[in-house]
Parts: sequence; structure tokens; C-alpha cells
Amino acid sequence: MAEEAGVPSVSLTCEGFLGQAATTATGLGLPGLPVAVVPGHVDVQTPDELRDNVLSVTLDAVVEGLTQAREVVAELDEPSPGDVVFEGTPDEINRFFYENGWGDGLPIVPPTEARVREFLRFTDRDADEELGVLLPDRRSATVRTVAINGVMAGCRPEYMPVLLALIEAMADPRYGVEHSGNTPGAETLIVVNGPIVRQLGFNYQQGALRDGFQANTSIGRFWRLYLRNVAGFLPHRADKGTFGNTWRVALAENEEALARIGWPTLAQEAGVPPGESAVTISRFTGGTVLASVFGTTPEQMIPYLADGIARLVAWEVIFTVGMAVGAQRPLLVLSPILAQTLARAGLGKRDVQLRLFDHARIPARKFERYIGEWTNLAPGRPSLADLVARGRAAPHFAESSDPERLVPVVARPEDIMLAVSGDPLRTNAYVFAHNGILGFPTTKPVRLPPDFRGLLAAAAGR
Amino acid sequence: MDALWVLLPAGQRASGEWIDDTLRRRAVEAGLRARTPLAARFPRQRVEVVRAADPVQEVSALFEARGWTDGLPIVPPTLGRVQALCAATARDGDETLGEVEPLRGVATVEKVAANAVMAGCGPEHFPIVLAAVEAVLDPAFNLRGVQTTDENVAPLVIVSGPAAARAGVNAGVGALGPGWRGNAAIGRAVRLVMQNLGGGWPGAVSLAGLGQPARYTLCVAEREDGPWPPLRVELGYRAEQSTVTVLRAETVVNVTGGLAELASVMGSAASAFTMRYEGKVAVVVAPFVARRLAAAGWSKDDVKRHLHADARVPVADWARWWLRAAAPEWPPWVRQAEASGALPVVRSPDDITVVVAGADLAIPQLAYFPSWGFPPCRVTREIPG
Repeated sequence: MAEEAGVPSVSLTCEGFLGQAATTATGLGLPGLPVAVVPGHVDVQTPDELRDNVLSVTLDAVVEGLTQAREVVAELDEPSPGDVVFEGTPDEINRFFYENGWGDGLPIVPPTEARVREFLRFTDRDADEELGVLLPDRRSATVRTVAINGVMAGCRPEYMPVLLALIEAMADPRYGVEHSGNTPGAETLIVVNGPIVRQLGFNYQQGALRDGFQANTSIGRFWRLYLRNVAGFLPHRADKGTFGNTWRVALAENEEALARIGWPTLAQEAGVPPGESAVTISRFTGGTVLASVFGTTPEQMIPYLADGIARLVAWEVIFTVGMAVGAQRPLLVLSPILAQTLARAGLGKRDVQLRLFDHARIPARKFERYIGEWTNLAPGRPSLADLVARGRAAPHFAESSDPERLVPVVARPEDIMLAVSGDPLRTNAYVFAHNGILGFPTTKPVRLPPDFRGLLAAAAGR
Repeated sequence: MDALWVLLPAGQRASGEWIDDTLRRRAVEAGLRARTPLAARFPRQRVEVVRAADPVQEVSALFEARGWTDGLPIVPPTLGRVQALCAATARDGDETLGEVEPLRGVATVEKVAANAVMAGCGPEHFPIVLAAVEAVLDPAFNLRGVQTTDENVAPLVIVSGPAAARAGVNAGVGALGPGWRGNAAIGRAVRLVMQNLGGGWPGAVSLAGLGQPARYTLCVAEREDGPWPPLRVELGYRAEQSTVTVLRAETVVNVTGGLAELASVMGSAASAFTMRYEGKVAVVVAPFVARRLAAAGWSKDDVKRHLHADARVPVADWARWWLRAAAPEWPPWVRQAEASGALPVVRSPDDITVVVAGADLAIPQLAYFPSWGFPPCRVTREIPG
């Protein structure tokens, strides 16, 4: 920000992040941005150690960064769109792509000109149309590279409209793709809604998050390939996920089940009209199954479901208060039979959210430890009362000064997202912990080319 | 047509930029297009597949045209060869040793391995190459200065310890000459790293006016049977450890005779830059000379003290030197010695590194390596294993 305002700056960077800093600076259009290293990581240093490190190492680099002439860095020289980069056997192509960092370790489908052309038939957009510019590499996301990575991931050509919607969402500033290399290594979950679910054969029933269904599986893989190949998130480089995990299989909602109980889909809640298809992306740090939900009434079921939400949320509450109030959006996926049981008691989605909000609570003392004592993510260890006073938390976080009072893990009832999918007849749920502003829920409509049905029918015959 | 899968040895900066784009512009400005007609003309990726009837020859010719060789043919850095080198170290291929000045290509273990393969290294040489590269990346070595100066300085790589024999680095007959792959390939690997990852292209970035043969390779091992404690022990390592020590060598001067002749050569204009920058010099002593000195009761420190005392430049000579007039600022100890009529060439005896190497013959041979540049430097790294 300072640089853009014409003020020379130096960025303080922990030792393990120098490479990422250089890459990110270039991506931001600030190549050669001065960086001053802080040895080791600040989280495990005493104030004295940190002070010594800053005075003996960092300070000199700050002075140097502010006083020395900055180098001019040239633009990267990369293959042009549509260039044939390699010719060889399938085995050779796979090895070549892998060795150059363009694959995830599994075999890819070679993105030949013919295959890419086939994908491009499923959109009326120009191959060179830009969907956005993606950090950290600041590469242009084009229709063509969507097709190329779709081919590589093992998608079918008719998935192209979904792939395009996904990359529009990836490029949406609200989502915050530039954070995709953060150390918690959260992974995106794609939720698919609308007629496209059945048209493309997504699994939305038993095993909804299991591999084994081409649309769910290959589209999930496409997402991560695109992050790697176009945005530039490579492990050991700009992707600093401490552990990370594999890409997630795309989740499709069971829209028949939702229609039967009159609940809106996730996409409809985001404003997508019924009858239209959409994708919703959101980054989740982890998830767990809530098995064997027992009971016939909301009073019996809600406490356990809410406990699952509260149990999975820890440091993530920094996105509930403080840093980004109300950005914490956990997702609860209910199997259809659970949703139907709640609906039978007269509950709409909003009612379920209100009840979950009432029950998904933890003691204020524990909440404050998550953001202060245990993670140091709220500098100065403010109490919830401090944060409320500063407008960085909703008033209900300081209704009393009792440290044992229960406070919610999200800012508002509607921050809890609900989806319906999975085995229709098993009483299990799945909860995902959210990564806040570093992958905020973002919905994009799936725009279909003219005569999509005709194209689909033709594709089915091939 | 046969195919070779080769790793590209070129320098890529942390920001992703390849240094060859800068080098191409510098080469064009310097009128050196003919030397590197394909500078910066390569696919911007990790691995390239080269297909040709004779792909080994093709890779060598291609890399030469891209400016990635020292003029001699190279060994293609195939994935298999590079992986074999990386497997000879406990370090990950992605691990970064640092940025190589002046153009700051990132020296990852894998990039260094690619250049080492090209230089002719096998896995047995690679731990020494890594230690040597780490040493020249030490800020004290002033690689930016070494790479860009119009002087002819080259890294002198001294291997001390059991790792030398294991890697076939010669300490005996012809230790500074050709014939041993370890000496030839390790020194050449350091040069190719400086050139391809740091951008020290002759004439374009490296402005050394004459250069010197040591810029192809200058790597010597220390004899284990010398009469004095080896260099690594002097520097505080244990005898069973192995080390690489690098110094900035302005040149190599052969001296036939004993300490008197050596002191005479040291006390000459050959030491001008050493004195100017308070440099650290090196001396190679043949085992014949070393044993004779030791038999007369001389320790290594005695030798250093003697050379410090005896190697003196007459003030009258110094006053006529070109460098004396060109660079008015000289270190205080030089100024102070002016009154005595003769100037020492180094500030203290400790600034002289003494190493025993060469043939075990009755020949009084020595070599003197004056230094260039600042700060005073003798950088040592342990060779793991």
C-alpha cells in the first residue's frame, strides 16, 4: 500500500518466507521490493531473542532497503497461448509435464490441440478472453488455459462451463486467491448447484465426498492444477502450507431432497435464481464427520450438530472477531434424512441456523485463549470486552464479564452455511472449519453456451 | 533420434525472472553476440528434452551457444545424473544455498548439481562442491566484487581432510595441474555456478581484463602426510572432519627454492592488491620443503612469522607502483611501515595460509597466491559425511 502511494517501504519477513516474499512482490507488480529478514520464526522467540534478532540482523536490512537503489526486473518470458511446448509419447508427455512442475504427481491427460479445441466448443467465449489476473504470479486467467488444465485434470469437455465459473470465482477479489499459499494450508471445497448437477452426472448421494465420480473428482483436481499452473501456488515456493492436503472432490447438493423440504440451495441463498446452475467456493482448514446423529426432534439433534461446529473451530475464531469480523463461515453438510427430520419439525434453513448459533458456543475464557494466549493472533491479547469496545466484535460477545459465559463461534447465525448431500438414508453430518477472509465463500453462476443440451447429447454419443 | 532429458542450469531469481534476459542485453551491448548467439533463447522451465542423432553433442553445442559453458564441452545434466548427485547429499533438491551475486540466481541444490554434472562431477564430488559454493556465497567472500571486477581474481578451493582422497582430489604430483577429475571438476563446477547462476559471463558482467587459467578450475587438496597440523585442524576442526576453504586468488605464482625465494616473490608488485585491501594470501609448500623446514625445527607458525617478517616491499618500489598512485587510501599499517623503508605484504602472520601439496620429490617447489579485494577473507565450510 505504501509503495503504491509512492512511499518507499521495507517488508519484515520471517526467514522461511523469503522466497514467497520475492514471488509475491513480483506478482503485486513491485519486483525487487526490499525485504528485511527476521531470523527463524517470531512465534517461538522470547521478546529478548526477537529483540536481539531484529537489532543484529533485521535493522541493517531495513536501512539498506530504504537507502539502496532498487533494481529493475524484467517481465517473465513464457510460452505464448496455443504454443506446442512438447511432442512425444503419452509417457514422455507425462514425465515432461511432471518434471517441469506442471502436474500434481498423477498422470495427466495430454492437453493436445484437438482436446483443447473440444473443450472450447462448450463455451461461446473467445479462447483468449481474460477471466481475471491471478496472484501470486499475476498470470492472466484465460478461457484457453481453463480448457488446457481441464483436459489435464481428466475432465470431460462438457464440464467447461463449470470450469469457467470456478475460475471466475477464483479471480473474484472477495475470495482472496492470493492467500492460497498461507501456512494453515486450507483447501478449497467446491459446491455445485442447479440443473448442471444432474446434467454432468455429479454424485450427490452416498459417498458424495469420495473419489470415483468423474465430474466431482476431475473438477476438484482441476481446481488445484489451475492454482498451480496459472496462479503459481507450488509447494516449496509460493505455497507455504505447513502440511496442506490433497484437493477436495467437488460437493454437489441433493437438490431433490432440498426441494422436497422447501429449503433453498446454497446457490439460491447467494442469490442465484432457481433453475440456474452455480458454483460456490470456500476454503476450509479441515473437516470431520459427525456420525450417528440420534433423535427425532431438533432439541435432540441440534446440540450434537452445534457441538461439532464449535469443536472444530479454534484459532479460526480470529475471523469471527478482531481481524475480520464475521468472516468465519463454517459449513455443515447434512445428509438428506437429517435435513428432512429437522424440516418435519417445521424448521426452515434460517431456523436451523438460529438454533445452531445458540448452541455452537464455547466459554469466553477459551475463546480469548484461542486468539491471544495460544496463537498470539490478536496482538496484545485483547479480551472480548476490549474487542466489543473497539467495534471488532458483536455486542453479544461481552454480555457479561463472566469468563465462563458461553459465546458463539461465529458472528451471526447466517454465517453458518448449510448444505444437503450424502447418503440420503444415513443420519450422519459433515462439518468444515472455515479459513475466513483467506478464501471467503464466493458464488458464480454457470453460464451455458447456446444449445448446451444439443452439445451434451452429441458429447454423450462420443 | 535419441532424446536427453536435461535440467536447465541457468539462474532463476527468487522472483521467477531468469538472469539470462539481463545477460543477453549485456552481451549485446558488449558486442559479444557471436559468442552466445542463443543467449536467453531457451524454454523457461526446469527440464528440456533435446532430441538429436547425437544428443550429447547437441546439448553441449546448444548450451555453449546459450552461454552456459566455459568454452569446453560439457556433460549433459540429465535428470538421472543430477538426481544421482542430489542423492549424494542429505539435502533436498529444492533447498536453497543462497543467491549468487551479482545477478542473484537462486542456488538450489538441484541447480548447483546441474552445473556440477556439466563440469564433470560425479556424486563423490558433490558434497565438496556444495561446501565450496556455500563458502563463496558467504558475504565475506564478496562474490559480487569477484564476479564484476576488472581484476583477474579466481576462487582458490582448498580441500582438507579424508573427503579429498575419497573424491579423488589430488594433493600429490601435479596437484595444481591437469589429470585428476576431482580437482578439474570441482573447481570447474564452482566456476559454472558463478557463471550460470550468478551471471559472471566474461566480457558481459565479468570484466576481468585478462582473466587467468585458474578461472577454469583452481582446486587443490592438502597432503595428509605433511609435517605440520593440517589446515582444518589449524582452523579448529577435528582431524577426522573434512573442510573446504576458499580464498580470493589474484593469480598463481610458481616459486622454485625455499622461503627466501618465496619471500622475494611475495615482496613484489604481485602483492599490490593484497596490501591495498589487507588481503589474506595462500602458500603451497612442496612436501620436500616442508619436511626440511620441520626437520630444522620450524612449525607452520614459524614459517608464517618468517614470511611476514621477510617478505617486504622496498618503499622506493612501492612509491613507483601504478596502484600506489591510482589508489591514494592505504591501510594504516602500510602507512606506518613507510618510515621503516620496507613494507610487509600482509598485516599479520595469520593472514598467510600454508598448505602442503605437490609431488613427493626432492624438488624445492612452492606456489604463492596473492589475494584481491575486500574484506579480508578465508572462508571455510565443513564437508558433511
